Amino acid sequence: MAFFFAHIIFILTLLIFGSYLLLGIFSALALRKYLRKNSYINYNSLVLSPISPRVSIIAPAYNESKNIIDNVRTLLSLYYNNFEVVIVNDGSTDDTFSKIKDAFNLVRVNYFFDYRIPCERIKGVYKSKDPSFNRLTVIDKNNGGKADSLNAGINISRSPLIVTIDADSIIEADSLLKLVKPFLEEKEHKVIGTGGVIRIANSCEIEKGFIRKIHLPQKMLPRLQVLEYTRAFLLGRMAWSHLDGLMLISGAMGMFDRETVIQAGGYSIKTVGEDMELVLRMRRYMSEKGCKYEVTYIPDPLCWTEVPSDLRSMQKQRNRWTRGLIESLWTHRIMFFNRKYRRLGLLGYPYWFFFEWLSPLIAFAGFVYTAYLIITGHLNWSFFLLLFLFVYTFAALLSTWAVLFEEITFHKYERKRDVFRLLAAAFVEPFFYPVHTWFAVTGNIQSLLRVKAWGSVKRKGFEIKKKAKKKPAPVTGAPR
Amino acid sequence: MKLVSLFILFLSWLLLLIYGAYFLISSFSTDTITLAARLPFSTHISQLTLPDSRLTTHNSQLITHDSRFTLHASRFMLHDLRFFPSLMADTQNRALHLDTIVYDSTNNIQSASDTLTYVEKKQIMGHQNPWLWQVNYFGKSFKLVNALIVTIVISTVSMIILLIIILLNRTRLEREQKLRQFLLEKYQSLIVEYLYGDVVSDEFLKIASDDFRRQVLIDQIIDVSINLKGDTGEKLTMLYNQLGLDKDSIRKAYSKKWHHKVKGFRELAFMNNREANAEIYNALNSPNEILRMEAQIALVRLSGENPFLFLSELKRPFSLWEQITLYELLVQHSLPVPEFSQWLDSPNPTIIMFALRMVREYKQKNSEPKVVKVLSHQEAKVKNLAIEVVGDLDMRSSLEVMKKMYKNEDYHNCLEILRSMAKMPEPSMLGFLKLVLDKEDDVQLQIEATRAIENMGEVGVAALVKIMKSEYKNYNIIVRHVLDRRIN
Repeated sequence: MAFFFAHIIFILTLLIFGSYLLLGIFSALALRKYLRKNSYINYNSLVLSPISPRVSIIAPAYNESKNIIDNVRTLLSLYYNNFEVVIVNDGSTDDTFSKIKDAFNLVRVNYFFDYRIPCERIKGVYKSKDPSFNRLTVIDKNNGGKADSLNAGINISRSPLIVTIDADSIIEADSLLKLVKPFLEEKEHKVIGTGGVIRIANSCEIEKGFIRKIHLPQKMLPRLQVLEYTRAFLLGRMAWSHLDGLMLISGAMGMFDRETVIQAGGYSIKTVGEDMELVLRMRRYMSEKGCKYEVTYIPDPLCWTEVPSDLRSMQKQRNRWTRGLIESLWTHRIMFFNRKYRRLGLLGYPYWFFFEWLSPLIAFAGFVYTAYLIITGHLNWSFFLLLFLFVYTFAALLSTWAVLFEEITFHKYERKRDVFRLLAAAFVEPFFYPVHTWFAVTGNIQSLLRVKAWGSVKRKGFEIKKKAKKKPAPVTGAPR
Repeated sequence: MKLVSLFILFLSWLLLLIYGAYFLISSFSTDTITLAARLPFSTHISQLTLPDSRLTTHNSQLITHDSRFTLHASRFMLHDLRFFPSLMADTQNRALHLDTIVYDSTNNIQSASDTLTYVEKKQIMGHQNPWLWQVNYFGKSFKLVNALIVTIVISTVSMIILLIIILLNRTRLEREQKLRQFLLEKYQSLIVEYLYGDVVSDEFLKIASDDFRRQVLIDQIIDVSINLKGDTGEKLTMLYNQLGLDKDSIRKAYSKKWHHKVKGFRELAFMNNREANAEIYNALNSPNEILRMEAQIALVRLSGENPFLFLSELKRPFSLWEQITLYELLVQHSLPVPEFSQWLDSPNPTIIMFALRMVREYKQKNSEPKVVKVLSHQEAKVKNLAIEVVGDLDMRSSLEVMKKMYKNEDYHNCLEILRSMAKMPEPSMLGFLKLVLDKEDDVQLQIEATRAIENMGEVGVAALVKIMKSEYKNYNIIVRHVLDRRIN
């Protein structure tokens, strides 16, 4: 017992730190290549090109009444030549559908719906009478959840590429151009999916569905999540993409090859982590078929989302993430250390298994054991302090590293003060780790108890600086 | 550059971690000598069996005489020294004070493997290092403790370095931005005065004193040159050459760093300078896709009469991104459009696809026989595009070919065949399309077949009316879908 806590946890900590460092190296390499490569890219040639592939943007909406009109307008005004927007009203109980119907002059069309992927019953497909909105299609369907809505949208879309988004995300105007590029660069390996960086919109100034001014969140909890997101996206996913082990494209925004999604069976409605599960399934499908493929990732900020600003909402969100992780890992357990799935099986999957799922549990056991030692008076305080300093300085260093990556890449925070505040948060964040651990533990417990709830997140709404009109809360959970 | 230093920092960190892990592992297992298989409840030092001549006992001390080793009793002190106060190691003197080893009765010693150990000393962590030697080891492996302390120190120092880099980077960015803005305005007014006034080139040299300023000037000249033609354009090119900026661009084109090369290629292409064409040709089949693409673009601009000659030499895949970029170049600069059908028999499938797209965009209908020939290409995606193009360009000689190939094609090609038939409605295809509608279960295939029939006009509508009366399938819903013009 003593040996386990004294050594296994310590070794695991070293391994986690080592893996972070390795990911940091690969991320630096990938970022360097990407930035150099894209400093010469002229995306304008894509904006009007008649040979660019058609893209369908699929946005599920459930009780999004307050934001839906602005969000649809934003989607319709994205920079790209050849795209359609498919809004899926997932049986909203508020006036989401009637609002969108009135605002865009929608009428029901005689659509022969093709259920290539199973989904809840479609009540109707609507198009606008106004030709200026002919890119817009709205599906009205029975409630079935986010995954089910996305499946309905995939069924109706007729483009080779689909973009799935959260209806409450704020999309960058040029995000389609950036997301589509890896598909256009495809050579021997078929590109089956591309993800990008999701940014945190709390405290930003938003006007008519677009970010007007970027600020660091005022509250500490969202600010800590800025660090977490920066680390996860710029250090983690960038590196995993470089290592061909990317397992997650955020549900907030991602582009996929439609046919591969359909062949793989679409989004799973059995999990609350449908975004991760889909990527795993698509990769598994391609590997088992013996196809050369890749899942790419771009470090550009693509969309902005609001994160929980209170602990209760955050717990719900994290519980859901943990449950999603467990369900995805369990469903695809065959990949665990399986050479057939290449680096994903040998590196990516084991990493998520040990460091994302198992390590919070071991850390929790460590916390309990430490508490036991304190109570029984057996704790070697000086050594404990040394270990704490070791972990603390390393964690703070990693966050500082992430801030640096952000600074030398896209430096979205223009004010120096914001950077200082972000750095200050890096020194506070390690104290928050036990809270994360606790959320992961409760997520595991819920998973054991087979809790299926999505766990809606209470949101404050995007702040509009111009006389502080607060937009009401969108509903679905924040993206991973 | 910054990322390189980050990379090095990360790497050094990783090495340190591996080093620490090695120490940790070595402290668990290596160089262990068992003094007693299982020590009795109370053991006096003199009762210990010493299996190695490097260990002796003297009064209440266990001593090692080998300077390469140090005594260590970590295994006994895993969680709390207070159980074993007599085991404090005086590592300075390479001795263990253990008058009598007494176990606390409440603490059961774990197993027979409990040992006193001595561990090989490492140079960095050993007691020869005065800084580390002064640390209180809290009863833990001194190597582990030292590794932790070193890590903490390195973490803190790295953090400070990173903070400084962040601050410097921010300051540099702001400064560069201001300087760039100032230079752009200055150069812009100078260029205008040079082109339409009496400013001489020497005026520029006063400002363009270093690489950064010269680069801004090149960028500005290129920016202005885009909108200039004729004499003024030539005058600007002359300025570029007089200031020796062409040498800068050529130097970049011959640089070993690919991203410098790209910049050089771009500048030379814009300024119509062919001095580095040999190097650009070399880059045409480079494994670096960005370099390759830039070489292609540069050659299109610099090759004069036959800008697309490189297509015949390209062995690597020609991505859709490259195709889009090249097409954009063709449109923007009104370059002479070649007969793209000459590449429809290229051994490189991606070149054929580009040629097909260009045949369509430039409506080169005289390529019909060659395009129809591509319908029998072995690659499905090439065939798919050819099917699409014959439909878009109304190449009706393909209809019979497509009808024959339908049954052997994959789903996507079948779908595309039906779409193409809808684009060029032909009553002679009615029988075939009715058969498709009858036999196929896939919704999309049915819809496309119906659309092709409907597009035939009166003949098609009459056929559909008849079909709708059929009870074999629910055709009404398909026909209603096709007839609804709001569905695109």
